[in-house]
Amino acid sequence: MSRLTRFLALTLALVLLAPMVAVPVAVAAEDVKIALVAPLSGRWARQGQLKKMGAEMAIEEINSQGGIKALGGAKIVLREADAGDSVEKAVSAAQRVLTREKISAGIGSWLSSFTLGVTEVAERLQVPWLTLSYADNITERGFKYTFQTSPVSSLQAEQALDLVVEIGKKNNRPLKKAALVGDNTAATVFFFKPLREKLLAAKGIELVADEVWTPPLADATSIVQKLRATQPDIVFYGATNFPDSVQMLQKLKEFNVKTIIQGVGAWLVTPEYVKAIGKENLDGIQTVVAAHPLKGQEALVKKFVERTGEPFMTQDPLCTYAHVWLIKEAAEQAKSADPKAIREALAKIDLTAGPAATTLYPGRIRFDERGRRVGAIPIIVQWQNGEPYTVVPTAVSTRPLASVK
Amino acid sequence: MAASELAQYVVTGLLVGGVYALMSIGLALIFGIMRVVNFAQGDFMMLGMYLTFYYAVALGIDPLLGALLSIPPFFVLGLLVHRAFLARVTGGGDPNREMDAQLILTLGLSLVITNATTMILSPMPRSINAPYASKAFAVGPLLLNQARTYSFATALLLAAAVYAFLTRTDLGKALRAAADDPEAAGYQGINVRTMHGVAFGIGIALVAAAGGLLASYHPIEPNVAVNFIVLMFVAVVLGGLGSIPGAFVGGIVIGLVQSLTLLLLPLQLQNVGVFVAFLIVLYVRPQGLFGRRARTV
Repeated sequence: MSRLTRFLALTLALVLLAPMVAVPVAVAAEDVKIALVAPLSGRWARQGQLKKMGAEMAIEEINSQGGIKALGGAKIVLREADAGDSVEKAVSAAQRVLTREKISAGIGSWLSSFTLGVTEVAERLQVPWLTLSYADNITERGFKYTFQTSPVSSLQAEQALDLVVEIGKKNNRPLKKAALVGDNTAATVFFFKPLREKLLAAKGIELVADEVWTPPLADATSIVQKLRATQPDIVFYGATNFPDSVQMLQKLKEFNVKTIIQGVGAWLVTPEYVKAIGKENLDGIQTVVAAHPLKGQEALVKKFVERTGEPFMTQDPLCTYAHVWLIKEAAEQAKSADPKAIREALAKIDLTAGPAATTLYPGRIRFDERGRRVGAIPIIVQWQNGEPYTVVPTAVSTRPLASVK
Repeated sequence: MAASELAQYVVTGLLVGGVYALMSIGLALIFGIMRVVNFAQGDFMMLGMYLTFYYAVALGIDPLLGALLSIPPFFVLGLLVHRAFLARVTGGGDPNREMDAQLILTLGLSLVITNATTMILSPMPRSINAPYASKAFAVGPLLLNQARTYSFATALLLAAAVYAFLTRTDLGKALRAAADDPEAAGYQGINVRTMHGVAFGIGIALVAAAGGLLASYHPIEPNVAVNFIVLMFVAVVLGGLGSIPGAFVGGIVIGLVQSLTLLLLPLQLQNVGVFVAFLIVLYVRPQGLFGRRARTV
């Protein structure tokens, strides 16, 4: 046998034997891959960045605590894909990330319109998908792989309205006139729809202005002019695009329109608002969200702030943090990284302890047959002195609700 | 509708249009003189916003002054970008040469600038929050946003300065000569390539200044360009491709149409008004408002 042949034979033998030696180890520690499809570029990139921060924090915690124990200490790794600024881009990002390699579960995609598209891909490829998006129809399509941890938009509308009506009565300033002001992205549409169609009328509140636009908004003058003319007691507010929202709030101040602003979504409580509007102009603005730091979560928030340099923690990192922990729990229970097994585990899960459950109020995670979290309750957050605080439910509030001047 | 309300819509439209106008003349200048369709124009505007922001944060310079101060560095940047990239794909003013290459180049530049800015400066929106951004001058029943009024006035001054430069100075005349007939201009001793560099520099500097003015009331983020680039192109084509006064008027018209559309259509259809007006103008005057017949679109 020539030297070359011997070398080739040896190489071949090594190549053939290597997997046999390596396989048991590799299986034991095979990474569990979670996809995060979120806008990392385009006009919602900031929200994607916040989501990523939350996911990374949870992954670091899980991996440093020994990974997924049922899978021999398997580590979790994040595969992020940029949903960009359109539904088409979000869908193709999901397609790419889910077909390139085996993904155990996915998270995303912030904007309800994106989530509607992305979950179709996940359903087709049978990968369980966790989302914080609000739109009702995300879980009205009979999908088996979509899990919505947030209270849906229509429920948020109902509860937010109940609350503001109650506060109005208590302060002896009953609400008589309301306005709907926001863009036509899915979560806002579903928040406004029940208000417009039945809820406001049922409470005897007159709808005096109904202004909806497609982002970006060229100028807010005409809207604010209408508000000035009609003088609503409350504005239900859904401007998810930051520059649009800044324009609106600046104009309200410029035209000296005083009203209660009740937002829908965590986009209204991001730190950059303080710089853009000034904290004195934010005071009293409130918004309904799916999650916000509660009483007792100070340590988590402190850790997040130290890690990221953000001034405070909001829904987007919180929910993604909870989602990663939830996937971890599902993988533990399924004893598998297989997406179908994780889907089964999620469908059956009933968590009452651990980081995922404590993050998502009221502290219990289970899903109904549509994939909606049972008992999910919206949180109301209010800007007070340049920081957003949980004000409702009062049992877990970090500040009492301040009345709007 | 009360007359005062109508007047408010008109005034708002004019103020919004003023900054569109300044953005658009840079684009028109570059197209008019170099025959280059600069898709990256909006991204240079975004960079101008950031420079004005850093002037304000680091040196405490008011954004209106910051906008003017961003003109020299962006002029130089424009010269460099032209020398490094554009000069390779725009041939001596020959309009038929390598149009596709320069389209791909400017589109590529746009993508690189947006994404590099997102990576380096993060997607977090930043704001200057100038005190006059949420204040208004009250003129009778009308309210004129202060930031927009100052921006409008500055835009008007800059546009007038560019017009005077192009029509009154030798360099301006050389620029126009290089645009009208590059070959003849060359025979007259005008260096067409240098003129192109100067045109690109001025075009970039103007849009950066417009960005600076915009930054006094609009948040700054890496992808801010997408909100404006289409309107810039509409303004330039509306005014007549390559015509500087045309682009200025085009910008103002867009602002007015956006505002007045709201009298007839719901808010969601604001930009539909712009494009309908655009189509009507092109149907009636295919060369645009100020375009010459030879440049029919």
